[in-house]
Amino acid sequence: MKALLNWPRRLVFGERKPTRGVAITSLLLAALCCLWIYPFLWMISTSLKTTGEIFMGTGLIPETPVLDNYARAWTDAHMGSYFINTVLVTVGSLIIVTVCTSLLGYVLGRYSFRGKSLLIAAFVATVFVPQGFTIIPIFEMLSFFKLSTSLWGLTLATSGHAMAIYVLLFAGYFRQLPDELEDAAIMDGVGFFRIFWYVMLPLARPIAVTVIIMQVLHAWNDFLLPLVITLANPAIRTLSVGIYAFKGEQSIDWSGMAAASTISVVPIVLLFILLQRYFINGLAGAVKG
Amino acid sequence: MSNRKRQPRALYLAMVPGLVLAGMFTFYPILAAGYYALFDWSGFNSPKMFVGLDNFARLMTDPFFWGAFQRSLIFLLGTVPLQMFISLWIAVLLNNQLLKLSNVFRTLIFLPVVTPVAVIGIVWTFLLSPFNGPINGLLLDLGLLSRPIDFLGSSDTVMPSLIGVYVWKWLGLTMIYWLAALQTVPEDVYEAAKLDNCKGGRLLLFVILPIIRPFALVILLISAVGALNVFPLIMSMTNGGPFFSSEVIEIFIYRSAFATAEGTRTQLGYAAAAGVLFGLLIMMLTLLQAVISRRSGKKS
Amino acid sequence: MSSHNQTSNSRRRFIKQLAGGAAALGGGAALSPLLAQSATTLPPAINTLTPGSVLRWIDSGDQKAVFYKAFFQQYAQDRGIEVIYDPLPWNEIAKVVPLGVRNKTAHDVFALPQNSNPADAVSEGWLQPYDDFIPDIESWKAGFPEGAFLPGINVFDGKTYGLPFTSNKRSSTHLLFNRNYLQEAGFDPESKSLTQSDFREAARKITENGKGRYFGFILGGNQIGRWSAIVRDIARLSGASAGADSVVEADIDFRTGEYTFDSDQYIEAIELLIALQKDGSMFPGVMGINAPQARAFMPQGAAGMILQGPWNIPAWESQNPEFDFGIGSAPLPDEGPAGHLTIGQGAAAPNTMWLWSGSENGAIAGDIFHYLGTLQGQTAWANVVGAGDPPIMPEAIEKADMSPRAKAVLQLFNEQIRVGPNPVVGTPALSSVVSSFQAPDLSFALTVQGLVGGQLKDVGKEMKALKTRYDDALNQAFDKARANGSDVSRDDLVFANWDPATDFGSKHY
Repeated sequence: MKALLNWPRRLVFGERKPTRGVAITSLLLAALCCLWIYPFLWMISTSLKTTGEIFMGTGLIPETPVLDNYARAWTDAHMGSYFINTVLVTVGSLIIVTVCTSLLGYVLGRYSFRGKSLLIAAFVATVFVPQGFTIIPIFEMLSFFKLSTSLWGLTLATSGHAMAIYVLLFAGYFRQLPDELEDAAIMDGVGFFRIFWYVMLPLARPIAVTVIIMQVLHAWNDFLLPLVITLANPAIRTLSVGIYAFKGEQSIDWSGMAAASTISVVPIVLLFILLQRYFINGLAGAVKG
Repeated sequence: MSNRKRQPRALYLAMVPGLVLAGMFTFYPILAAGYYALFDWSGFNSPKMFVGLDNFARLMTDPFFWGAFQRSLIFLLGTVPLQMFISLWIAVLLNNQLLKLSNVFRTLIFLPVVTPVAVIGIVWTFLLSPFNGPINGLLLDLGLLSRPIDFLGSSDTVMPSLIGVYVWKWLGLTMIYWLAALQTVPEDVYEAAKLDNCKGGRLLLFVILPIIRPFALVILLISAVGALNVFPLIMSMTNGGPFFSSEVIEIFIYRSAFATAEGTRTQLGYAAAAGVLFGLLIMMLTLLQAVISRRSGKKS
Repeated sequence: MSSHNQTSNSRRRFIKQLAGGAAALGGGAALSPLLAQSATTLPPAINTLTPGSVLRWIDSGDQKAVFYKAFFQQYAQDRGIEVIYDPLPWNEIAKVVPLGVRNKTAHDVFALPQNSNPADAVSEGWLQPYDDFIPDIESWKAGFPEGAFLPGINVFDGKTYGLPFTSNKRSSTHLLFNRNYLQEAGFDPESKSLTQSDFREAARKITENGKGRYFGFILGGNQIGRWSAIVRDIARLSGASAGADSVVEADIDFRTGEYTFDSDQYIEAIELLIALQKDGSMFPGVMGINAPQARAFMPQGAAGMILQGPWNIPAWESQNPEFDFGIGSAPLPDEGPAGHLTIGQGAAAPNTMWLWSGSENGAIAGDIFHYLGTLQGQTAWANVVGAGDPPIMPEAIEKADMSPRAKAVLQLFNEQIRVGPNPVVGTPALSSVVSSFQAPDLSFALTVQGLVGGQLKDVGKEMKALKTRYDDALNQAFDKARANGSDVSRDDLVFANWDPATDFGSKHY
């Protein structure tokens, strides 16, 4: 009994002495979080209701949970395969982006050569250009290379579309690093790529983690590019586009849409909860170091 | 770096993949769009007609372009400060070592960040609905309203609603950046501040903020770039409506390029010109802002 | 690279299996009786076909998809030919089809995007004629009603390009209403059509009875084309003589060749909508919902009336059998006789199917086209698609097994809808004006939305300004067409002998 009473206390305060400050902060943040995730609770609740019940405006708990919506979302909306597509595009673009931008950023940050400042200026200039209107030339080019209806094309375009800022982040970070380690390695006759891979890149972990996170989010959320590329080949749609397409023009299936949304959100949330320690601590801890 | 003597050939090799990628998807599209902007071109299979700077001249007097430009700026100015300040405040609260639940809170606040925008559009459209929408329901029950507000359907409320949803979606990310920045503040700074009895807002403003200032600039830049790329959110929530009230520049470009309205034709040349002009205007604003902040920095 | 391609191929197969599973699971029960009634026996093939071929077909789906899914399944069984059917919303067709043509991966048979013009599609080499794929095509074409095949519309240089197999005699703005709510409010649109004042009063009473649970009138106000369609049709029923609703004919009075935006009828129609909004009789949030959302609210009992199309009838009857709804005319004038709605051609343009120039499956397409253009195919179509996309042959409508509501709405269409002049048929060169026309940014639809939403104030002034804007846009399009060598003038839009109450046949041009 005592242990049971003790549990919430330990949850909030751990092994330390309870203080009023921590209690108030916890309460405040708990309230905020409830509000924050209400849309998710609503989504899950809706995915279990019948269409009729949604419009009745009843509370969050469905009268009799309907799992039918999920079956419909899974088969009609192909959420399963869209999910795999999205993962493929995200992971693929992640690898391409990390390799390309870290190498380029390393060179730009630590070496001087003719035309370097011009190149940096060019990257800076592109950061603020809205991506929307570049979609047409990108599509034209992908068509030219016969990539405009393939997952490859989508992955490449997703990689290249937002890379300017990553290059600048890497370049800025590499520039600040002290010379000693690198110089010592050069003295020892270690080759360029080996230095980069074994000495410099590990030092740049904070920025690498930042870039990885930004690119995962970019790839996961991107909409216009996959929309245009997957139009002619619905089989390679990503989640964002798939759900949008589910909206349809002729009929609205609210509960099916909520179920599809839940299907698309739950795995990434689980993944995030499992990996969040690495995700956030990697970023935060690395910045410290 | 100027003392660097050796220029390994591998240096150029190392740049190749990045430059190819950037060339294809960053530089080429912008140059190509700049080229298209000089044509009257409906797109795809139709012939291009060279018109010089006509498209730009037309944009200069197009009230819809300037309206959209203004709304993009409003969106930028509406979201970035909110996002920066609220997330900093939450990050400071979460940074408290004594707060056992901080991991849980952090995760919950981060959830919207990993949720696809299309899902967010669908869910929030329903939440904000004036008919049986939970938010209106709550406000009505509390007696704060006598009749429901049509958040996304009325010109007065659509932009604030979109700004709110946008901040909700991306706040978690900014918060994580702040948390990372806050961890670079050495423990003894807090101890010293405690001895000086410096707490709360003053501690944040005069002690912590100066230390994390370099991070703040990066976070500001990332947030500002994000706030200009709001196409998916607005597209899935309002399509730019009602009556242009949420038509930001990206929607304007999309509308011109893909001819979404009845009786209109695709105008790729015009859309490209709008993109180029907008890019130039933003670049000018950025430069202006940089110059001003450098000057004021020098003064103080 | 190759491994990736494999993934995407296996992905495609995987999805196909999934889709097949879906049809078997969800649709199986519903499809088999349809299959039984629609086409128990297919007529023998008219061409020699290669079994194992795959034909790709894309259109806007909806109720049509119900027919095609069953029909193509049977077609596959009978002929050993697989038809991949992609029903997609119009905004996607607008991108998929041009991209496909450009990439040489287009569907064999497609619907043309709504903002593209068949004449352009022919001249840009998107399409091929199908005369060679239907033996003795002239006698087959003779089975269609007069006005189905028209030069400049689906026939170019004497060759047949489009398959005009569904009728254009339908309106997207007729009344669909909740019988219980209207009865409570004291109106019965089925025995007496509502006038504009009745409509306003009915909407007000329904809203009053609804006490916040339901409202008088709903429309998908975010889909701005709904605003113009509703105003145009209410105004026409009040006697505004306005041409059909595609570019260069919409809102033009063919007797004078002038736009009718500032006519009393148009202004009254807009004022009716403003009055509904002021009375609070409109569903809250109309500005934020699109047409499908608005339609979905009706069977849920959230609104009493909607002005929409006949495709709702089969959808609601099958998906919401407990929903008691009736159909009627759009609001009629308070005084004087009701006018007519004008269409520009006998066949529904959006449903006209075209054969891609790069297709090597012309023989299969010809076989399917032929079947859809026979009385047997037309009747099978009508049995499934019903009033939503009625077949073009009146005999098929009579023979078909349709619900009372569907029959009633087709009856209403027969009374109210007339074929008007089609300027492009009179002067084929006008198609270059159609290609050059660029509607003003502040279009008719947006102006109505703004007036009802309160962003624009003075109806009379705005509609005058609108007329000037459209006049400028149209004159510019004419200038551009003339600059490109077309011999056209705005006189080509004048048909002094037009009477909106009678069909305008080929002898009238």
